[in-house]
Order: sequence, then structure tokens, then C-alpha cells
Amino acid sequence: MLDAILIFQDALYGALVIGLACSVLGVYVVMRRIVFVGAALAQLSSAGIALALWLSGMGWAAALSSHPIGFSLVVTLAGALFFGMGGARGRIPADATIGVTYAVAAAAGILLIAKASAGEAHDIFLQGNILGITRVDMLVLLAVAVPVMLVHLVFYKEFLFVSFDRETARTLGYRVDFWNLLLYLTLGLVIAVAMQFAGVMLVFNFLVLPAVTGMLVTRSMRGIFAVAIASALLAALIGFSLSVPFDLPTGPSIIVVSGAFALLAWIGRSMVRH
Amino acid sequence: MSDLVTFRGVRLGYGRRTILSGLDFSIPEGDFLGLVGPNGAGKTTVLRGILGSLRPLEGTIAVDPGLRFGYVPQRDQVDYSFPLKVLDVVMMGRYDRIGLGRRPGADDRRRAVAALEHVGIADLADRQLGDLSGGQKQRTLIARALVGEPNLLILDEPTNGMDLVSTTQILGLVRELHETDGMTVIMVSHALNEVANYVERIALVVGGGFRIGTVDEIMSESVLSAMYGIPVDVDSFNGHRIVVARRTAGESGARA
Repeated sequence: MLDAILIFQDALYGALVIGLACSVLGVYVVMRRIVFVGAALAQLSSAGIALALWLSGMGWAAALSSHPIGFSLVVTLAGALFFGMGGARGRIPADATIGVTYAVAAAAGILLIAKASAGEAHDIFLQGNILGITRVDMLVLLAVAVPVMLVHLVFYKEFLFVSFDRETARTLGYRVDFWNLLLYLTLGLVIAVAMQFAGVMLVFNFLVLPAVTGMLVTRSMRGIFAVAIASALLAALIGFSLSVPFDLPTGPSIIVVSGAFALLAWIGRSMVRH
Repeated sequence: MSDLVTFRGVRLGYGRRTILSGLDFSIPEGDFLGLVGPNGAGKTTVLRGILGSLRPLEGTIAVDPGLRFGYVPQRDQVDYSFPLKVLDVVMMGRYDRIGLGRRPGADDRRRAVAALEHVGIADLADRQLGDLSGGQKQRTLIARALVGEPNLLILDEPTNGMDLVSTTQILGLVRELHETDGMTVIMVSHALNEVANYVERIALVVGGGFRIGTVDEIMSESVLSAMYGIPVDVDSFNGHRIVVARRTAGESGARA
């Protein structure tokens, strides 16, 4: 079993990096109630990949089929910018705007990939291809995740304040719009890169479930971050280790383990309360 | 006493829409001003002008170079689902002094504890903010405003949704901060009867109109009737001024 896992060790490291980065950002996603922004950005990212594959299939940019990340980044960061700046404030409620983005991006992704001769099966968008992560891919993941994590470590206080009480932060001279935008852009960056390998389902899982587990287990911000990171890494490790020898799809295996952690946390909390 | 904020010929609004115009007033050091009016009348617009988050469409808003706000937001502007201890919330009031990317130190913690003692809830320092009562939450937010060592304390609807006991305690605390510490205070509220018995001056914002003066000047039947557009009576009970809308004969009959 260990030998089988070691064959895919770069893929395992990649899954751990994705789990780490998404679980940290996921705490803000869940606490700020912007879970569906995460889902919409993941769909935008998949639409970006599909667009790259479609263009490649049309013969406009053949190199895109092997490196669709550029398109995915542009589309996802544009979405992050849009949502970070308030997302079409006005008559349309914010969550409706998110829903429109989600639906249109998902449909566009499927349509584009259906007509992309260089494309892969569209379920790749849902499940990803974690086992396909190479050493170079992992280095790309690290090159994005490490700076993002450092930004969030150094400016934790700022991100927390503008998330908790933006009006007071503003009166103390904080550039609230800037910090919100930075949060959304780092979120978009991580989602865009993680989507290449993990797929919508696993990225969305890492953004939501570890943070929820953390909220169920502890009652401090530091505790939530710690439990979210630990549960994401453990879920990645256990899910990955089970999927390889038993020939199971890796992404869903990790998600099931994440779900089990959240369920255990919920049961434990309910027992403590009673 | 110098003026901390001065409005000169100010017109406030959003885009092309004017909310209030012809605003000419000052907030001197040591003032205790109630910014009062019904919801949607423009109190928040004036407040945003004072805080500098809304630029005037016309005129100028001058602030003292040493002005430092202590802001107590409406309670529903704060997200209580964040699992934060009272002490951590109070320390946020020093975040701008601490600087970007730096963590609060022992001195910030000591000042936060002192601010909690000042508002009478030092024993709640390690409790979760979300677990506190409305009055305790408000005291926490006042402590957070004080820990930044402001020279102008602004409270936005500080008693909104509170019961009589909590309301009286919070208003008493604010008055004590003004009288004992000499703090300049602006208290925003829709409840004229509540505020009029604590503040020294009132800025009344009603139906696009704005009038500012001492409590005696504003709490007169002629001024209030003109501002609200209906006849009102101002009575006194145990030293408390009370404003009531005057009943017409038809209404009296109907209620009787």
C-alpha cells in the first residue's frame, strides 16, 4: 500500500498544499458567509480552463491545452475583482449575482468543453485529476500557496478586523475596500490554481468543510484555523491513502473523509451540549 | 475650546441626490451632542460626513488635525458569529496604533483591560462577545472605542433594541464619560425623548431639515412642531423632558 502511495507522492504533496491553502481561506469564506462566492469562483475557474481548451481545439493557441492555467487565472481573478468590489451593487441582491455567475460559468464550461477537440471529459471539472499532479505542478502550487499563506499570516489582524466590523475599521483609517479586494484576489488565485488539479468539488470541499469542522470543535479564531488546517491535511492524507490501493476516485475519497470529520465534530459538539 | 469638526455651507448626498443642504455648524471640544431624527432622515449621512467617509457635494468639512474618533457602531453592524473574546475585541481599538502586520503587545492588553474596567466589565474579559447581553456588548464596543484614546466619541444608536434598564445604564455611562473624563460625545439616535435628557445640544434631522441648538432651544413646542410638521407638546416629568404629539379632537374621540 505504501509503495502504491509513494508512486504518487507528488500528487499527495499537491493535495496537501491545496488542502492547506483552501482551508485557511475557507475560514474567511465560511465566517463571512460567502460560501457561494467560493463556488462561483471555482466554476469561473473551470470555465476558464474550458475556454483555453476550446481555443486550443480551434487551433488558435495550441499550447493552451497543456497549460490552461493562464486563462483560468484571468477569468477567476476577474470574478474575484468583481465580487471583491461589491459585485453589481444595486437592484439585484448580491447572492443573486453570485447565482447567475455560478450557473452561467458552469454551463459555459460544459458547452465549451463539449466542443473542444483537445478537451478532456467534462467530469474532470467536477472530480479533478489529483493523481496527475507532477513535481512541476506541485512547485507551481507551492509558488502560489506560500505567498498567499504568508500574506494571510502577516495581515491576519487586518483581514479579521475588516471581516468582523468594517465600519469601525474604516473609522480607524483602514482601507476596507483594499483589504476586501486582497482577500478576494488571494481566494481567486488559490482557487484558480487548485482547480487545475483538484476540480470544483474538491476545491469547494476544502473551502467549506474544514472550516465548518473547526467552528464545531473550537470557539476561538486560532482554534478554528488550527482545526481547519489539521482536518484538511488529515482528510487529504487519509482520503488519498485509501483511494490509491482501493482504486477509488481520489477527490471524492478526500471529500468523504472531510465529511466524516465534520459529522464527528457535530456529534461530539451535540454530546457535549447535552 | 477649539472646534473639532466644522461644517461650512455643506450639502450632503449621494450622486446627484441631495439629502441635506445648508449645513453650518461646529462641534467644539467638550460638546455632548445628540444627532436625532427618524430613520431615513439623514442622520447616518451627517455622521458619515463627520467621519470623513462621505465627501460633501458642496462646502467644506474641516476637522481638527489632532482629531481622533472613537466609534461605537450600531450593534447589528458587528458580526457576533466570529468567536472572539471580549478582550480581543477591545484590543481592535488599538489596531491602527499597532500598525500593519504587527500583533498587539502587553501594553495594548493592559490598556484594553483598563478600558474594560472603565466601563465596568473587566470580569467579562475572557468571555465570548457573542455570549453577552445587549448592554454588555455595547459596553464592550464603548471600551473598544475608548482604548484608542479618542478625543471625539461617536455612538450610533447605542440603545437600539435595549430594554429600559440597559438603556438607562448605557446612557448613564456615556454621560459619565462626558462629565468625568471631559469626553466630547456625539450620540446618534432616533429616540428624541431618550437622548434629550442626557445631551447638552441637539442636532435635529427631520424631513430634509436640519436644526442645531441647545436642548432648551430645540426642545420647544414651536421648534419641534415646525420640524416635525405636526403640533407637539413638550412636558416635564420629574425633571425629564418628554415630547408627545398633540392629539387632535378626532383622535381623542377615537381613542376614547
